[in-house]
Amino acid sequence: MSTRPLGRPTTIDDQQMNHPFIEALETIYPPERILTRDAQLLPYESDGLTAFQSKPGAVVIPVSEEEVIATVRLCHEMALPFVARGSGTSLSGGSLPIPDGLVIALNRLNRIKRIDPQQRIAVVEPGVVNLHITEAAQPYNLYYAPDPSSQSICTIGGNIAFNSGGAHCLKYGMTSNHVLGMKVVLADGTVTQFGGESIEGVGIGPDLIGLFVGSEGLFGIALEITVRLMPQPELYRTVLAAYDDIGKAGDAVSLVVASGLLPGAMEIMDRLAIKAAQASVKAGYPDAEALLIVELEGEAPQVEAEFAQLQSIIESSGAFELRVANSEEERARIWKGRKSAFSAVGRLSPDFIVQDGVVPRSRLGEALLAIDAIKAKYGLDVANVFHAGDGNLHPLILYDGREPGALERAEALAGEILALCVSLGGSITGEHGIGMEKRDYLPAMFSEQEIDIMQALRRAIDPKEIANRGKMFPSGEAPALQQHGLHPLERQGVISRE
Amino acid sequence: MTASLMHTSAELADFVRANERVHVLGRGSKTALHQSAQGAALADLSALSGVTEYQPSEYTITVGAGTAVTDVAAALAEEGQYLPFDPLLPDRGTIGGTVAANLSGSRRFRYGGVRDFILGAKVVDGLGREFRVGGKVVKNSAGFDLSKFLVGSLGQYAIMTELTFKVFPDVSCFRSLNFDYERLEETLTAISFINQSAFELDALDFAPSAEGWSLMARLGGSPATLPQRVERFTEAMQRETDPNDVSEIDDQPALWNPLAGLRGNTIVKVVLPLSQVPALDAMIADSQRRYGVGGNVAWLSTEDVVSLDAALKQSGLRGLCLLGNLESPLIGQPLENKLAARVKAVLDPLAKLL
Repeated sequence: MSTRPLGRPTTIDDQQMNHPFIEALETIYPPERILTRDAQLLPYESDGLTAFQSKPGAVVIPVSEEEVIATVRLCHEMALPFVARGSGTSLSGGSLPIPDGLVIALNRLNRIKRIDPQQRIAVVEPGVVNLHITEAAQPYNLYYAPDPSSQSICTIGGNIAFNSGGAHCLKYGMTSNHVLGMKVVLADGTVTQFGGESIEGVGIGPDLIGLFVGSEGLFGIALEITVRLMPQPELYRTVLAAYDDIGKAGDAVSLVVASGLLPGAMEIMDRLAIKAAQASVKAGYPDAEALLIVELEGEAPQVEAEFAQLQSIIESSGAFELRVANSEEERARIWKGRKSAFSAVGRLSPDFIVQDGVVPRSRLGEALLAIDAIKAKYGLDVANVFHAGDGNLHPLILYDGREPGALERAEALAGEILALCVSLGGSITGEHGIGMEKRDYLPAMFSEQEIDIMQALRRAIDPKEIANRGKMFPSGEAPALQQHGLHPLERQGVISRE
Repeated sequence: MTASLMHTSAELADFVRANERVHVLGRGSKTALHQSAQGAALADLSALSGVTEYQPSEYTITVGAGTAVTDVAAALAEEGQYLPFDPLLPDRGTIGGTVAANLSGSRRFRYGGVRDFILGAKVVDGLGREFRVGGKVVKNSAGFDLSKFLVGSLGQYAIMTELTFKVFPDVSCFRSLNFDYERLEETLTAISFINQSAFELDALDFAPSAEGWSLMARLGGSPATLPQRVERFTEAMQRETDPNDVSEIDDQPALWNPLAGLRGNTIVKVVLPLSQVPALDAMIADSQRRYGVGGNVAWLSTEDVVSLDAALKQSGLRGLCLLGNLESPLIGQPLENKLAARVKAVLDPLAKLL
């Protein structure tokens, strides 16, 4: 497939007026919403996968869905690759620009068009920040459930592209489970909509929402999204348990599951992750080999009864310390350490890679032991934070990018962990997506035929393969440049990786 | 027309390759879905049955698509678990048919529908290719999620031969309540109140009754706390929604089968938002009907499909006929076909699957 790269101007006002694509963009956008200068492009060169960067040819900033549609049609017509971008928090390099391609920055499509408390729905534009939906729904005792750690900055459009999760997925699912209706522009410029305002979503006919959500920007761009809202639980009960052995924490999770309880969240952090959280946000956690956080939520009488049961389970699981959050403030403190754990690791190491594998829950202990052996082999440190309830591991591989070969070693280590997850019957990604980072591991999970079928589907929707080219599928395309250190927003403490 | 019984996925793949038009049957429980398949070779999947893999501690189960829903439910119940989407025709259908037609029951209200609990599938497509979609663990976001796409796809894109679901622990104790209102508007106001409250109901359906409208609510939980929760809920409903009458009703399985009270030969599922219930109800006031999932689905029996089709089109809604003898089971607003057609072109380019 031949494409026409944009041919980025090399100096500030270099010949950009003459480039046919820029000229075409100027029929859609006023000059101040077309960015082509190096200094303007810099913030768009990388995302949450901080080890990589790539310079786009231009960035456009649409303020209406009509502009997005016109832009996609133009890209299709001129075979110019594009990536839609929200806040650029993808941990798999999903929003990394295509070198010399176009970035469609959607942050200004950030209107919450409607909150309908009677029906428990919200209608939003793709650039709306995840947490802003919850804030808008709060007056009605409602909230938007998916809670990725970057929820204070990540956008719904990106959540849709990568089917984002969070700490509370086991009970109420991921992004896909909360989308009821969508209007989208497909990569060839076709505009279509599916689903609606019923809790059934599409309901009759194939579930196109399920297909579109998690397609990593390869099918097109969501223009308007209807999401379901959930009632705020009457009561949360959150417990923090400390263990002198991470195996015991894992066993405690099995005991909770076997008891028939269905907690809203079950999280484990290992020693290194605890240390990072302490150093960063002074979480006040006990000094332990492993911490387990379990949270129950629901109607007060039910939660109180279940909590008594949970406490006795945890007490019998060999925890040496048990802390119960007795107020919303204490609950927030328990979660703060957990939610900031990953950025906090930045204090322990100049660079790190966040991995996102899934194993069957019953094999968590086995996976942790194997990770220990792998990290010893590579001589690198790995901190572990995971959503234990659904077996979603987030090993955090620490390295120093200034050291020659360190990134390659860290990546090789990450690759072994992914292979391990597949061999244990799990997945190479629970919630971050394949993106650019894991595209070479897709064949570990899917057969050649299965990948061929997915590729054919992609081409049926995007014949010129322009939408987020270079992501998800194994590719011979040139790798992006490498960099090291924290994401600029991470340094400011605005975002965190999970 | 007799159906050929498939014993393996490979046999089905051969069957698809060997025939020009193929239509799939589970146990044939949803009669309206099979009328349009005239002239197609029929594949009976009921022998692709049984639990392939079940690990209660993983909250996952993998079953053959031809497994009777009752068999899946029984295997789960032994471990105190259940399919939270609450398959609709538990006594008659197969699990594959339930997914293909997207038929959740009343208990879907609590945690979600078929799409929220399907994790992966093995399929045979229109070219006779056998492959997997989705995964087998409770969380997975690798690759395009074709398993969700197949929910509601009526076997027209690929035939599911094996399915993996997320399952949950079930509660042991239920109580059901009935609230009477004179008018539909009052019933809907009561639902709005519930929607913004923190009460966690297992199911919430409503239907016209001799006294006006009957709103049925079900609570599930532990026997120790359920009485208190029922009391709190009843009191709040009396205070906030002013029902004409409140009574506890016997929590029978038939009570929460939304089709149990519908008589007639043509049974239709309509998907709609709560906000469109009044307008639609005015148009279908002659039909027997029950609204499920807090007013997000209507189940109705009608002798006049033509009028229903027109009413749905006028409202921008669509319906699926489950029982009946119709040319096509799909009525009302036509299906989206801009994106779906692309998938069809890849999975079934010869348009074999009906």
